[in-house]
Parts: sequence; structure tokens; C-alpha cells
Amino acid sequence: MKRGLLLVGLLLASAQPGWAEIARIKRSAGTTAVERGKARLTPAPGFQIQPGDVLVTGKDGQMSLTFIDDTRFAVGPNSRISVDQFDYNRTTQAGTFLTSVNRGSLAVISGQIAKSRQDAMKVRTPTSLLGVRGTKFIVEVPK
Amino acid sequence: MSRVLLVIAATGLLAGCATPSLTLLPSEEGKQGAVAVLEENGRAVDMVVSELNSRTNLSGSPRTRSIDPSKLSARQLALLQTLPPPPARLTLYFQEGTTRLTPESAPGLDFLKAEVRERPGAEVQVTGYTDTLGSADDNDALSQRRAEEVLSALADQGLDRTMMNAVGRGERELRVKTEDGVREPANRRVVVTVR
Repeated sequence: MKRGLLLVGLLLASAQPGWAEIARIKRSAGTTAVERGKARLTPAPGFQIQPGDVLVTGKDGQMSLTFIDDTRFAVGPNSRISVDQFDYNRTTQAGTFLTSVNRGSLAVISGQIAKSRQDAMKVRTPTSLLGVRGTKFIVEVPK
Repeated sequence: MSRVLLVIAATGLLAGCATPSLTLLPSEEGKQGAVAVLEENGRAVDMVVSELNSRTNLSGSPRTRSIDPSKLSARQLALLQTLPPPPARLTLYFQEGTTRLTPESAPGLDFLKAEVRERPGAEVQVTGYTDTLGSADDNDALSQRRAEEVLSALADQGLDRTMMNAVGRGERELRVKTEDGVREPANRRVVVTVR
């Protein structure tokens, strides 16, 4: 199992030098941050998102991003949204995608991952788990 | 009757502000989409929301109600306006055995440059495709090489190399459906996506 994971890691690393990039910020306004581990980074257009990143906005903040599978996000004010899992094979266009809307609002237009398999893309809220089947929607989690 | 109305009104109020909710909207392509509620409050549920222009509460028992799409809240409208534009795609054809664009495809370069300029934080994917001649594995490798060559050619033409990625999709997604082992120039192409 460990060896398998290592092999997958090596294959990914060798296939694409920029493999950690899963999305790019297109717009960022007001108070916004990307939390990566203990680091708190300031996103600007072109900022590259990695799996595990947490998108945070203040009361005047908003940001938008497009993923490498064509999924698009808009993050509203007072939000905390973590991209928990994003595995995507650009050759087969299949993968898995899990996002948590812990607080605030998120608009989504789904992309290739949602098309690849039923419920390959999921969105978690504090009270529910959603399976995305190819569409445009808004998830709101008030305080 | 009045009690029922009261309950509906109360549910409406809750869904409108205090509880987490899902708002399902028509997709840009106008295709039928859906979102399934798989779990609610830690319990497995199996509810598929497929009614467009609807709102579903995401705590308590999920229930879907129609909404008037012309009456989305100011916050929701602002959120939708923040969404990035759809990716732009352009199919390029090349002079046989070269990375020189055919005369018909040449204006495409200006189109790509304009798309990149108009999209702050743009990312460009160069995707190669083959016909069905040869093995699937060989075609994956061939289309990857082709995409890398085109990426270099685009970089020479002034597109920023650091924003580009090369991908080979081999004989998946044939433009012209054929049997295996068939030469088909229309399938030997490169698609450039600007996100």
C-alpha cells in the first residue's frame, strides 16, 4: 500500500512538474487569505491553489477561482472554505473533489470531475454532504 | 389549514436566512443538472434535488421549494457575478508534420493572446489528440509530445510559458468517430483551453 502510494506520487511528480497546482485565483477583493498549513498567504490573480488550501474572506471579502478541471468557484464574504481533496488526471479527465463550506457562501459551476463518475465531486457543510451531478448552485452556511 | 401555512411560513423564514441551504440554478449550457443530498445531520439520506431555481434547507429534514429566479438576494447576485467566465477553447490544425499553423488556424493565435489578456490569472492548457491508428498507449505518448511541441511554438509566439501546461488525451474524444486503426486528419488536432 505504501509502495503503491509512493509510486503514484513519483508518477505524478514526474508527469507534471507543476502537479500541485489545482486552481488559480482570478479575482480577489477586500480582505482575503489562503491558509496553507500554518502559513497565511495573500491571494492575487494568478495565485496557485493546492489541495488542502483554505479560502478565507472577511466581511468585505470575495474571491473567484477556476480549477484545472474547469470547475469554477466564487467565494462570498465572511467565508471559510477548504479544498480538502482534489485528485485529477488531465489525460483521462477523471478524479475526486471534496470541498467543505465551513462558513459563508460558495457559488459553484461544476467541471470535468463531476462528469467523470457519479458523486466524484462532493461538497460538505457542517450539517450535510452533497454529491454534485453537473450543475450550477450556491451553498450558504450562515453563522 | 392556518397551522399548515404557519409551518410553511416558518420553514420559509428559516431557509431564507438562518439555516444552511442549497440553491440550484440552471446551468449555462441549459442542461439538466442535479445535486444529491447524501447525508444530513450525520444520517445517510438519499435525496436528489433536480428542480432548477429551487432552494433546499440543509439541516433538519431537507425540503425543496421553488424560488423566483428574478428575486435572488443581492448577496447571491453579487456572488454569481464574481464567478469566473467559462474557459475559452480553440482547436488548431497544423501543416502536415509541423507545428506551423494552417492558414485557416493562424488567426487563432491573436484570439488566444486576447483571451489571456482579458483574463487576469489565466491558465492555458494545450491538449493533444490523435486518430485511432496505433495503440492507445502510443497515442497517449504521441499526443503528449504533440502538445508539448505546440506549447513551445505558442511560447515562441509570445504566450507566457509559465502559464501553460501540455496534456495528451490520445484517442479519447474523437472529433470524427471511427473504428480502431483508422487514419483521420480531423482527429489529429490540438485544443487550447484558456481558463
